[in-house]
Amino acid sequence: MLQIFLLQVILLLSLTFGMEPITFAGEPQEQLRQTTDKVLAILSDPALKSHNKLKERRELILKVVDERFDWEEMARRSLARHWAQRSPEEKQEFTILFKELLERVYMDKVEGYSWNKIAYEGEHIDGDYAAVKVKVFTARDQTIQVEYRTRKKGHQWVVYDFIIEGVGLVNNYRTQFNEIILKSSYQELVKRLKTKSTQN
Amino acid sequence: MRIPMIGCLLCGLLMTMLPNHALSEPKASIESALDLLMYDQPSDPPLLLAQSYRPSLKEEEPEFEEQPDTMPDPFEPVNRFFFNFNDKLYFWAYKPVASGYKIAVPEDIRHGVKNFFSNLTAPVRLVNCLLQANFKGAGNETIRLLLNSTLGMAGFLDPAQKELGIEKREEDFGQTLGVWGMGPLFYVEWPFLGASSLRDAVGFAGDILLDPKTYLIKSIPVGLAVRTYDQVNDTSFRIGEYEDFKRNAIDPYIAKREAYHQYRQHKIKKR
Repeated sequence: MLQIFLLQVILLLSLTFGMEPITFAGEPQEQLRQTTDKVLAILSDPALKSHNKLKERRELILKVVDERFDWEEMARRSLARHWAQRSPEEKQEFTILFKELLERVYMDKVEGYSWNKIAYEGEHIDGDYAAVKVKVFTARDQTIQVEYRTRKKGHQWVVYDFIIEGVGLVNNYRTQFNEIILKSSYQELVKRLKTKSTQN
Repeated sequence: MRIPMIGCLLCGLLMTMLPNHALSEPKASIESALDLLMYDQPSDPPLLLAQSYRPSLKEEEPEFEEQPDTMPDPFEPVNRFFFNFNDKLYFWAYKPVASGYKIAVPEDIRHGVKNFFSNLTAPVRLVNCLLQANFKGAGNETIRLLLNSTLGMAGFLDPAQKELGIEKREEDFGQTLGVWGMGPLFYVEWPFLGASSLRDAVGFAGDILLDPKTYLIKSIPVGLAVRTYDQVNDTSFRIGEYEDFKRNAIDPYIAKREAYHQYRQHKIKKR
């Protein structure tokens, strides 16, 4: 009985004091806010609204997003245990293919639902990792819960996964990739990724 | 490996032993009691937010995951067959019908229809909130049902949300079973109904028993027609979503199954 009580005390103490206070609260959220603010500004820019400016607008958005998203980390996570078995060249090729795929997904989400406004609903920092919760208000009067998973890289908090209404994007791809590799091969997966990239 | 697990358990126990601040505070006036029933707290104190996360984000490093959390799928070939069936059903039936309907019927009316059907199933959500011991949610649903059925013109309007900001609680019996500790068991892709699990299929049957439509409409063909119309009306708001989803998936079947799995787990946890 006493042992259990002591264990509880230790656990509680370790919960309260165990976290390293290296990061200022609000830093991951603030950095993410800067990026999304830029994206929203581009989206609402009337000069870029016309149809023939679509390509230009896309490039501008992706340039902003590029600085915040850690594509290589996403690619690594999407392959999980299969990543280590790949050669450096294969890793590079895969990262580019996966980046192309995710850029399209991101553009679909941002353009398709015409993001209007974003409310920040708190962050949770755990050492070099942080989760930032936001609520997206779309032009169609919907709200979407998005959670950004970030990690610290130098002075920057970079995104390695985003979770939309509970569905983790990289996580979802990981299951798809794992089953494709196990059922056929890594080469088959790359082939399918390449076909996707030419289709879109 | 064992210590952190015990730790989580103990912490969980401790958390449940700590009194819920909202319940423990004595509320003097009826007004504040109503307040408690009606409103969500959009910004809970940070401590509560932290509790809703798993203890460590670092543990989600892919290297540490030996067995990724995926939905068991022993009947994959059958499920894939019905996945293709539902896919065709969407492109050949639902989508063209819903697109035509969308052009013919103004958005306001379609919204009204959506609200009306949603108001009808309020008892389902109310009972499931109660079964999950979510009394605030049950209070919200009760007020929504009373207000929207009267001031909201039999549910066509949603003054509870528009004027008072009382959000709908999307609770169903599948989630209730999940809250009670039941896993999804395995994935099921139903023809016409789409993604589900064995647990959620049982839940779906339970929800039909709680649905007033089941008792109001005696004839089975009429009942099916009404449910199909509800579905078409709903689809008219979401044309393009499935297309996006399919375009971005490498294996759409697995993507759908896992998205369903994660989405349901998220809803069960969210309560």
